[in-house]
Amino acid sequence: MSRTLNVVRMQLINKQTYIWIPLIILAGAFALSLAVYAIIPSDGVKIGGGSQAPLWYFGVVGVQALTLTFPFSQAMSVTRRAFFLGTLLTAAITSAILAAIFVVGGLVEKATNGWGMNGWFFWLDWIWASGALGAGLFYFVLALMFFIVGFWAATIYKRFGSLWLTVILVGLGVLFVGALFVIGRLDAWAAVFTWFATQGAVGLALWGLALIVVLAAASFGTLRRATP
Amino acid sequence: MSHVIEVSHLTKRYREAVAVDDVDFAIQKDKIYGLLGRNGAGKTTVMSILTAQNFATRGTVRVFGEDPYENAQVLSRMCFVRESQKYPDDALPLHAFRTARLFFPNWNQDFADRLIAEFQLPMKTRIKKLSRGQLSAVGVIIGLASRAEITFFDEPYLGLDAVARQIFYDRLLEDYAEHPRTVILSSHLIDEISHLIERVLVIDQGRIIMDEDTDTVRGLAANIVGDSAAVDAFTDGRDVIHRESLGRVASVTVLGALTDADREQLRAAGLDVGPVSLQQLIVRTTQHAGTAGEAHAEGVLR
Repeated sequence: MSRTLNVVRMQLINKQTYIWIPLIILAGAFALSLAVYAIIPSDGVKIGGGSQAPLWYFGVVGVQALTLTFPFSQAMSVTRRAFFLGTLLTAAITSAILAAIFVVGGLVEKATNGWGMNGWFFWLDWIWASGALGAGLFYFVLALMFFIVGFWAATIYKRFGSLWLTVILVGLGVLFVGALFVIGRLDAWAAVFTWFATQGAVGLALWGLALIVVLAAASFGTLRRATP
Repeated sequence: MSHVIEVSHLTKRYREAVAVDDVDFAIQKDKIYGLLGRNGAGKTTVMSILTAQNFATRGTVRVFGEDPYENAQVLSRMCFVRESQKYPDDALPLHAFRTARLFFPNWNQDFADRLIAEFQLPMKTRIKKLSRGQLSAVGVIIGLASRAEITFFDEPYLGLDAVARQIFYDRLLEDYAEHPRTVILSSHLIDEISHLIERVLVIDQGRIIMDEDTDTVRGLAANIVGDSAAVDAFTDGRDVIHRESLGRVASVTVLGALTDADREQLRAAGLDVGPVSLQQLIVRTTQHAGTAGEAHAEGVLR
């Protein structure tokens, strides 16, 4: 257990990677969004996608956590299991911090009616429908999911090389398009949208959590036989 | 237990080549080994498998009597810093040492600080911006200051200048004397490390072709110096592996231990006997093995 916690400390050596860059991206996206809201000469609801920016960066962090820190962890005589658990724990901690910032930001946003200009960065009605806790869970799962997708892709790359990673990603793309095709043929789009709507933020977060578990298990299976 | 590592029938096959070919050997406790061989001979692959960083195709590896794979108890007693070691992207040497301190139970910070000063390693420069020699110094410092029970150094001197290499050799010997441990040192600079190593393990084309005490290896050949004609008379019919001459003086290296009769004969002929360079001996041995074996593709380093 202490070795797992030491892996967290090893990962957090890169404070820049895990803490400062995500915060700078978040603060930058936030400031730019507010500036754009201020420029728009309208009192209507203003919503931008800027809050996604740090989430995408979590995907990059997931890649780096493996490609750069895994070889170093091997030199530190750390087992692959301890590396995996410690890295996931690090991702969970930083995702929780990000989610907390989003929740606080959303509450402030609601209290000030969109910073006094009806501009919304952290608050989206459908995400906040089940309250602050639900929104927090949603943001936490989303950040962790971006991380684990990056980490999973990096394990494939590390073990099988870029060719197989590309083949697998293209394969998943084909499956996705195939699913779209099937839904279209069955004329089931209405049903799909209804399903998403009824799940709500919490329901989607739980599905996301299931996806995280699947990807984490797949990553660990691949990592067990990976070489630095 | 006198053997800390036991390897039997170890084989590592890559798609295009056999890197390690059905190898058996054992490593004695608290000795300094030289793991010698040409590029692609399988040195790094063997060390990677012993530390569970890589996987055997066949065969078994026992370290402290156990399988090292995913074995935290065993792994934490070993240290292997690769010659091409990667570090986290924005890490400083300071970070690397702080992390090593977390993971190696015998880590000695005073020793690390002393080495940092002696190698004149800049602590506030990102590792990825360091020169090749400074990068090697980071690995050397981790390897030495971790004081792991088994420490592997894979060509630790790349880019290090002669002074820095000497510091490494001196500190290794000093610290080894105070804190005995098993050290496995892979190197091309055989003569430079020959005074450090107690046992020689030569690997060639994935096979162990020599596993001997260094002194025994030195006794395997002799250097005969003196008048050309007398030298030639003595070496006639013997296995000559090297010959140099300057004017009427010749220096010839012959394989095989000298008998008392040989020494008597040499004294009568007024010839001198000198020690043989370990490097020359091993180069010759691996060359012999190279021509005896089948054509060998220079290949995979892991």
